[in-house]
Amino acid sequence: MNTLRVSWLFLKIGVINELQYRVNFFVQLLQSIIQIGTALVMLALVYSHTNELNGWSQAELLSLIGVQVLLGGFIHTFIQPNMQRLMEDVQQGTLDYALTKPEDSQLLISVRMVRMWQVVEIVSGLVLLIVGLTGVQNSIGVGDAVAFGIALMIGGVLVYCFWLVMTTGAFWVVRMENVLELFEGIYQTGRWPVTVYPGWLRYSVTFLVPIGFAVTVPAEALTSRLQWPTLVFALGFGVAVFAFTRWFWHWGLRHYSGASA
Amino acid sequence: MSVDVARLPEAGRWRSLFDFYVTTMRTAVASQLQYRVTNYFYMLGMIAEPVVYLVVWTTIAKDQGGAVNGITTGEFAAYYIVWTLVRNMNIVFGAPFWEYRIREGRLAGDLLKPMYILHYDLAYFAGWKFVVVAMWLPIAVGLSAVFHPTLNPTPLEIVVFIIAIWGAYLVRSMFQGTIGMLNFWTTRGAAVFDLYMAIEMLLSGRLVPLQLMPGWVQTLANFLPFKWTFGFPIEALVGNLSTQDLLLGLCAQALWIGIGLLLFKVAWSHAIKRFVSVGN
Amino acid sequence: MADPVVHVAELTKIYKVPEREAGLRAAAKALFKRQTRDVRAVEAISFDVGPGEIVGFLGPNGAGKTTSLKMLAGLLYPTTGEARVLGHIPSKREREYLRRMTMVMGNRNQLQWDIPAMDSFELNRAIYRLQREDYVAMRDELIELLDVGDLVRKPVRNLSLGERMKVEIVGALLHRPQVLFLDEPTIGLDVTMQKRIRMFIAEYNRRHGATVLLTSHYMADVEALCKRVIVIHHGRILFDGALASLADEFAAYKTIGVVLENGGAPLDAYGEVVHHEGDRVALRVPKAETSRVAARLLADHEVLDLTIEEPPIEDVIESVFAQSAPQ
Repeated sequence: MNTLRVSWLFLKIGVINELQYRVNFFVQLLQSIIQIGTALVMLALVYSHTNELNGWSQAELLSLIGVQVLLGGFIHTFIQPNMQRLMEDVQQGTLDYALTKPEDSQLLISVRMVRMWQVVEIVSGLVLLIVGLTGVQNSIGVGDAVAFGIALMIGGVLVYCFWLVMTTGAFWVVRMENVLELFEGIYQTGRWPVTVYPGWLRYSVTFLVPIGFAVTVPAEALTSRLQWPTLVFALGFGVAVFAFTRWFWHWGLRHYSGASA
Repeated sequence: MSVDVARLPEAGRWRSLFDFYVTTMRTAVASQLQYRVTNYFYMLGMIAEPVVYLVVWTTIAKDQGGAVNGITTGEFAAYYIVWTLVRNMNIVFGAPFWEYRIREGRLAGDLLKPMYILHYDLAYFAGWKFVVVAMWLPIAVGLSAVFHPTLNPTPLEIVVFIIAIWGAYLVRSMFQGTIGMLNFWTTRGAAVFDLYMAIEMLLSGRLVPLQLMPGWVQTLANFLPFKWTFGFPIEALVGNLSTQDLLLGLCAQALWIGIGLLLFKVAWSHAIKRFVSVGN
Repeated sequence: MADPVVHVAELTKIYKVPEREAGLRAAAKALFKRQTRDVRAVEAISFDVGPGEIVGFLGPNGAGKTTSLKMLAGLLYPTTGEARVLGHIPSKREREYLRRMTMVMGNRNQLQWDIPAMDSFELNRAIYRLQREDYVAMRDELIELLDVGDLVRKPVRNLSLGERMKVEIVGALLHRPQVLFLDEPTIGLDVTMQKRIRMFIAEYNRRHGATVLLTSHYMADVEALCKRVIVIHHGRILFDGALASLADEFAAYKTIGVVLENGGAPLDAYGEVVHHEGDRVALRVPKAETSRVAARLLADHEVLDLTIEEPPIEDVIESVFAQSAPQ
């Protein structure tokens, strides 16, 4: 399919480009180590004062953190660079270059950038996840693993949609640089199970900024907490959000083309 | 015509410096008021962090019967809400701003003027703080409504707090300003900054009140500057420090401002040499 | 000359530039062994400038003009050689020195972006420690000279490029510096604005006797302002003297314009026919031959009109710049 071909091409170019900068690998490695270190310190600190947090044991929480870091790595590798580039393009008026190509615009602006060395973050998230799972009581069945995979994919799609909707806002409110910091701050809420947060906050973090869905649900799958209705709902929610995002993108484009002098 | 230009007489040194600070601070306020939206976005993103910590520790406290290590949920709320103010006071001219200054070519313009570079930054950010504090007040009210902090400071504590937050601002300005100068030698300073930030987060009282850290960590924190940029100001207001502790804390801040200033001066003289030999 | 304001002797600047070839293997090698190349941006230049002079530095991009100016402003350390301005060594960046000089760089903003220029002027007042009366007098004089009265209350970011340049100049001169370094001050501006700024510089120099060193690659700037011109190329001074004698030194040819009685006669034998329209012919002849060719033309043909012209300065400069670097 054309979508896959185009995506693969951009990926290849991005990787070849980044391979030149091997120093980036060490920088990224150091940053990931620091990130994991801080997370582990906080985890140890919390569990030095309690045995379980809202029913989650230390090992289970470690798995949750693993999922959060893993997804974070995915965001920093594939999603964020594209959204940043899109924001810059809108501000500087260079979006037209992307729009005049004979490819689906949403696809193009979503896959043209990749920050390869952030893959280290994905790997470190995976490591945390596996280490966490070894300490978890219940063993994981095939069903759980499949549910995990699906939930993770839905989570990725939801975060992508959220980012794209936010960035599409740049068509109207041109200065959106701080959305990035806003997101990083809010993404930290994903480090803890969504059930910890009081009502209105939990609602925001699940539906408005779908971190809860993206991180907690996959973690629930692996720690055998996931209920089937939740997964089905997540699937439906993901499809609905994706459809809305695509519509919103095209609406924003029309506004952009009409408004530009 | 070859008449040598008549020199203009100079005003007094201290008077001019005070003048400069006041003028710059006014400028900063005027400029930043135009970026209300940007400032608000940044602040909103910032409160996610303490809210998360607060929620986690509140959960633990409730599990443990209302308090952790003697800190009640109300006290945790107070700690983390005051945290947001101190965090805002902590934003100083650090690595990202140095990078901006060098990259946008503004450094040459600053170097052409006969004023020590630290004054520009200290004055501008100090002015900015007034805008920030004004914008922070409604956020504080909102957070208090949601999380019900318990806060009963004595007048002495309030006075010390107000001095301490500016002390924290100065300490952090010196250290962050110094580290930011790494940008003169490498564009890959990111890893070093992250390391600094991680250590600072653990040892300053930003992650958790230092009381909750193991004993050896608390002792270590006393001998590093981080506690005096963050934990101390908060504890001054929220905690139950004795008058002696409060005054000793202010002295510690003064000491670290001095050390930081020394480091800054040394670093800057090297940075200038580097910039001026390599150019822009 | 009595104590020069600017004294430069054998000033040299060599940059070490990292070099890397394309390709993965070269990138890997580069991680272990940094290869650098020496770029000789300024090569042993020497000159003196007296008080009140306006000197123009002409040269193509990369010639070394900005580098030289930056060394004189204290923004760059020279590699070897000596530079003194107003008796100070610029690279020492003494406060005394910084108060007596100013540098304006085209396309670079030193004023605060979001606030009216007037407020930035206040800042400069404090930085340069000006007494209020002196500041107000100088400020108002500059505002009037540059005609920016209605611009100084608008935020700088709302001004056009030319307007921005004018208020930048006001900000830079508030402390009445004795030496002005102007790096491409008219770059990117429209023709009217360029003329205004040139007029201002000339007037400022006339009123206050400040010494001006100006770089440009616009011939018009130099022609309008500078009696003395220093041509720099590949880091070396190719010419230092009056603008009028530039053509004498470098021009290799002159142009003879003839109007003939019986136009159409081929004149190839006399020189290179540059232009032939009806009766008018323009001939390019080597400088040395000019009078001889003119005489022959007058003798051999019915000449209605004959003019002998220097080549336009731009062409001269172009041919100077076209010389390749000495190896």
